[in-house]
Amino acid sequence: MYELRGVTKRYTRGKPTVHALDGVDLTIGDGDRLVIQGPTGGGKSTLLQMLGGLDKPTEGSVELDGTDLAKLSEAKLTRVRSENIGFVFQSFNLIPTLTAQENVETALVPLGVKTGERRERAAQALESVGLGERLRHLPSEMSGGQQQRVAIARALVKRPKVLLADEPTGNLDESMRDEIMDVLERLWKEHGLTFVMVTHDSSIAKKAPRLVTIRKGRVTVTERDARGALS
Amino acid sequence: MFFTYLRRELRRRRKAALVVASGLALGIALVIVVSSVSSGMEKAQGKVLQSLYGLGTDMTVTKAAEAQSGQNQGPRFEFDARNDDSGGEQSSDRVMVRGFQTLAASTVSKVGAQQGVSDAVGGLSLQVLKVSGEFRQGEFQQEPGQGQYGGGQPGGGGGEPQGRVQGGGADFQVDNYSVYGTDVTKPALGPLTSSKITSGRTFRTSETNAEVVVADTSYAKEKKLAVGDTVTIKGTKFEVIGIATPDSGDAAANLYIPLKQAQTLSDSKDEVTTIYVKASDSQQIDSVKSTIQENIPGTTVTTSADLADTVSGSLSTASDLAANVGKWLSLAVLVAAFLVAGLLTSAAVSRRVREFGTLKALGWTSGRVTRQVVGEAVVNGLVGGALGITLGLAGAYVVTAISPTLEAQVGASGGGAAGPGAGPGGGGPGGMSGGFRRQAATEALKVALTAPVSLSTIALAVGLAVTGGLVAGAFGGWRASRLRPADALRRVE
Repeated sequence: MYELRGVTKRYTRGKPTVHALDGVDLTIGDGDRLVIQGPTGGGKSTLLQMLGGLDKPTEGSVELDGTDLAKLSEAKLTRVRSENIGFVFQSFNLIPTLTAQENVETALVPLGVKTGERRERAAQALESVGLGERLRHLPSEMSGGQQQRVAIARALVKRPKVLLADEPTGNLDESMRDEIMDVLERLWKEHGLTFVMVTHDSSIAKKAPRLVTIRKGRVTVTERDARGALS
Repeated sequence: MFFTYLRRELRRRRKAALVVASGLALGIALVIVVSSVSSGMEKAQGKVLQSLYGLGTDMTVTKAAEAQSGQNQGPRFEFDARNDDSGGEQSSDRVMVRGFQTLAASTVSKVGAQQGVSDAVGGLSLQVLKVSGEFRQGEFQQEPGQGQYGGGQPGGGGGEPQGRVQGGGADFQVDNYSVYGTDVTKPALGPLTSSKITSGRTFRTSETNAEVVVADTSYAKEKKLAVGDTVTIKGTKFEVIGIATPDSGDAAANLYIPLKQAQTLSDSKDEVTTIYVKASDSQQIDSVKSTIQENIPGTTVTTSADLADTVSGSLSTASDLAANVGKWLSLAVLVAAFLVAGLLTSAAVSRRVREFGTLKALGWTSGRVTRQVVGEAVVNGLVGGALGITLGLAGAYVVTAISPTLEAQVGASGGGAAGPGAGPGGGGPGGMSGGFRRQAATEALKVALTAPVSLSTIALAVGLAVTGGLVAGAFGGWRASRLRPADALRRVE
């Protein structure tokens, strides 16, 4: 469970100071599905970086299960990322020289999983996203949708608590988009994940039970009940 | 994973790896070629010096140069002008001490007694000038009242005829060769050690005053000498017991005879021209040199290093080139190669910012990412090293195969003063007189250049390859360690 209190992130680039985040308070419960939406440069990615322990806030606290990520050392933060957080990126970010299976294995390397087990778990994860036949394919030999599925397998192979996705369908056409959203939704349910997704896509945003809109560093939370009505 | 990733990267980014590796290869190849050529130069120089010095000689002692006294006399030849018509052949040998300067034989034992001297042996270098030929009497045809005239009046330069002389003249040959009087009791030291006996035998230690001679192979060929033949020097018949072939370059003398015989021939009893010295410790040569110079006044000590300084000609030029230009050139290329490898590796890391950022986001530590980058760079360096060694060996092989001939001129090694500079000649044959320059003033030798590659050169190349890889890795690793995991979220490549 996430507890964000007064999270502020300022970037000083030259003279003007940019408030990427400006006193954000947000609570995300275990197993929640949250969509973050907003204009470009509004702070979506910065918020995702805070949640993923990729960057630290200038002020405020980012607690994950009672641990303030803002106060952790780089080494401990790396440990948190390797154990608890899975990432899916807009441009897949697969290692171009490694096969699908090896790409998935990279997520298990920092956990010290032995080679044999690593291979097996990577193969299973790829099977669960429907790529059981493509273990030895290079990213360049696969379609965008398949590459993103490899990336999803990589994010989930270590069984994290949290899955963070940064515009996972941004680089895909519509049919692929639905395919990826189906996979993500299914895995979210199967694994009982906390799932936070940044998206531009309003059709996806509409379906989200909880929508965070971020504009000029400030957030507005919109909740929907089971019938889809706003509250 | 480390090796899988490394292997995949190197295989799939072969071109980039090859660029880095070739840069290093070029630098390393140059280092190998330059260092092997310069060791070839050293070897060539060593050969030149050896042929003058003999094996195992660390320095020579000669008489210090004195002010020209004017007493130095060139050889004089006197021939009889005969009145009869026989025209018989006459010949005259002049045996001169090379450089006209000698040391007392007792100096040899004095030098031998100096601290740091392992052994000393004296030798007498002689130059023999043999003039032989005949006079033909001219026929006097006019003004019979003037009486007869002997052909070739001494010093006359053909003189002004008082009458007309027809058909008179002289036919003379000048034979000039060098003789070295060697101390047969110490065969391990001196100039003869740089020659191998290729026929017959060398001196026995008992032949201190025997009338035997060892001939240099090229002189023997010229004079058609073989073992068992005799050579006459100033009336003394010497038996040829052996033919010596120099290991390289020219021989120190045309003929080698026992020292005592040489002293007798040149009327220089108990005198030597050069003392060959072997130091007990080759590292102490300079101190031994100063000890000798201090304790035995009037001597000049020349070490092989001093002699090396006097080596000139194309060998010296090439040697300087290899030592200076070659060294700096290969250093510059090496530094450039290291820098280029570093920058290329660093640039490769920059191109892979998102890749490394992603790995960091997945929980890879900076150390693990850096190790990966350094690992790739070191392998690149090793590939470059292997390429460079191959290239360098090929280069050295080509140099050895071509083995360009270098000419070396060695300056005067002793303190000998040159005689008066007139060449042989003058007027009529009867009055021929003149000195000649000391032959050793410059010796021109031809040496083939080789480029031997030593194991230490290879070791150096491997070391450089690893260093190059590490330098490149340091650049790349430094860049990689500074990447933020948030770079994984960058949208533009």
